[in-house]
Amino acid sequence: MADRRDFTGRMSGVAVIRSNEVDFNPCMKHKVVRKAVRMFAETELGPIAHDIDRDARFPWEVVEKMSPLHFFGLQAAKRFGGAEMDSISYAITIEEISRVSAAVGLCLTVHNSVGVYPIERFGTEEQKRHFLPAMIRGERIGAFCLTEANAGSDAGGVETLAVRDGKDYVINGTKIFVTNGGICGTSLIFAITDSQNPQRSAGVFIVEKDTPGFTVGEIEDLCGMRANPVSSLFLEDCRVPEINLLGRPGDGLKIGLVTLDTGRLGIAAQALGLAQAAFEDSVRYSKERQQFRKPISSFQTIQNYLADMATDIAAARLLLYRACALKDSGRPFSAEAAMAKLFCSAAAMRVTNLAVQIHGGYGYSKEYDVERYFRDAKVTEIYEGTSEVQRMVIARDVLAQRT
Amino acid sequence: MVSELPWDPATGTLRRELAEGMINPACRAALEAALRIREAEGGEITAITMGPRMAEEVLREAIALGADRGVLLSDPKMSGADTSATSFTLARAIEQACPGFDMVLCGFATSDSETAQVGPQLAEELKIPGVGYVDEISVSGRTVRMQRLADNFLETLEMDLPGLITVTSGANVPRHVPMGGLQAAFDSADIVTLDAASLGLDPERIGVKGSATKIVNVTSPMAGKKNIVLTGTPKRIVDQLFERFDDKIGGAIGKDLKRDKQKS
Repeated sequence: MADRRDFTGRMSGVAVIRSNEVDFNPCMKHKVVRKAVRMFAETELGPIAHDIDRDARFPWEVVEKMSPLHFFGLQAAKRFGGAEMDSISYAITIEEISRVSAAVGLCLTVHNSVGVYPIERFGTEEQKRHFLPAMIRGERIGAFCLTEANAGSDAGGVETLAVRDGKDYVINGTKIFVTNGGICGTSLIFAITDSQNPQRSAGVFIVEKDTPGFTVGEIEDLCGMRANPVSSLFLEDCRVPEINLLGRPGDGLKIGLVTLDTGRLGIAAQALGLAQAAFEDSVRYSKERQQFRKPISSFQTIQNYLADMATDIAAARLLLYRACALKDSGRPFSAEAAMAKLFCSAAAMRVTNLAVQIHGGYGYSKEYDVERYFRDAKVTEIYEGTSEVQRMVIARDVLAQRT
Repeated sequence: MVSELPWDPATGTLRRELAEGMINPACRAALEAALRIREAEGGEITAITMGPRMAEEVLREAIALGADRGVLLSDPKMSGADTSATSFTLARAIEQACPGFDMVLCGFATSDSETAQVGPQLAEELKIPGVGYVDEISVSGRTVRMQRLADNFLETLEMDLPGLITVTSGANVPRHVPMGGLQAAFDSADIVTLDAASLGLDPERIGVKGSATKIVNVTSPMAGKKNIVLTGTPKRIVDQLFERFDDKIGGAIGKDLKRDKQKS
């Protein structure tokens, strides 16, 4: 596994199991990562987070600032320009960016987890050298294109067809709800190579923006994550050379599943960042807002809300870090990633809902950030595998255990 | 760079055990100045701090930002040092860890105690010239030219190297920490920890024992914050607001509201 690391050696501190002891304190590195990313996010994204949501504008100017700081190759190898972060540092980074702007956090996690990662994990040396450096420099933002009109949770329903023609593949099909669609430079397209045998012939093709036959559809008008241009992608006789096929024909489903496991960690982190932001705003507001001549934080009902929010967030964070730690130790983490994603996104919904409630009418107003967090949170239960799919993954693991 | 840790306003002692390992803002500006000098002139940057083992965190962060190595001065015997004992300890460490150094850059003051004494005292201890409160620095050969704002005069000064400069937090806006640098700072950083014995320091000259001054009491000024609820119709509220706070509002917008009112 390309990203296997000596977990105990490099990440002493977070939930490391040493003999009979579990350490729940963040190690020095993770503290510094959080501090550094928070400082970046608050200075560079803080002032624009509200406006880019209102205007549904993707902030390219922030991409320019993020690129030299390795935000577009967070876990990628140093030799390609990446930062080689461990998975907990990665989760903290996504969480802290999403705490300020979940839409930008979304761009980063999709680019890193399901754009760069599968190429680094499954690509040949030639493919890595060819595709990765520009992606990691932030010049080509990654997108992962599985969903179609008749395929989503069921990856077997993909109808996009890639037909071998000499040394090339010619791809035809339409992908929908592509995160980063409007800004993508390098897309991973799921396509079948044999329409008679779709399950066994699925492949992943790397398609770059300037390829003839590749066009970006209209930007979707969505409820949340509005600063991220989600769109359809059209492939019409789109011809790519053989080097653009990741793995072999038939590997598509496997690549998709492994990639989504990693992607779920990022979405869980994003949901956690949203919950954290909504929680912090709620604590602050409940201390300021006076009703019946008292701050509303002095009312037990509000205190109960805050206690539930804090508990939800703490539990979500531990589940997420456990899945990250398992990934870095090279052990299976599919079920744990699904649990983290299921719980973090549900927690984000509960916490942002209570945040709006605590803010009352102001929380329902676009003047206040909690309104945005509330809208942004919902989709974390939908993309990168719906909550229903996460439960399928978890249940499959549960039922496979010996009783 | 010199970095100190936050005070506990309740007890008046340093919160070493809770130290969140922050680089003092002015010291961060000093590091930024050092990085810019290295970009222009080359050279090597050593980040030095004195504190408990946790202070290693600020050295890692300094290395992540681009410092070449870190030196941590950590010893229970060094604790409780006043500014003079701190400067003495730092000077001996610099002589030992950075022989033949060209320039010492410090934050002009810490954001907690703000004595601004360590920089100048350190220059004395090292027997080198020192300039304080500097905004801009340019190096040419063995001469360094500096600009600073003093009593609203823009001063330009020159100094021969080796020398010491204390840097304000205004001018050198610190860069963001690169994620790759951060990982490297924890994977493969060059950090040495020195105690009093390895520096050959007389225990009587350092820490509490070596301190001529002692802080008897620390109080933090209570911010005079009060909620005042104005009631009535909006017009009445606005009138009351201007009646009660016209001097403050006037000060903020730079107008004498009383005089304006009399005129009209």
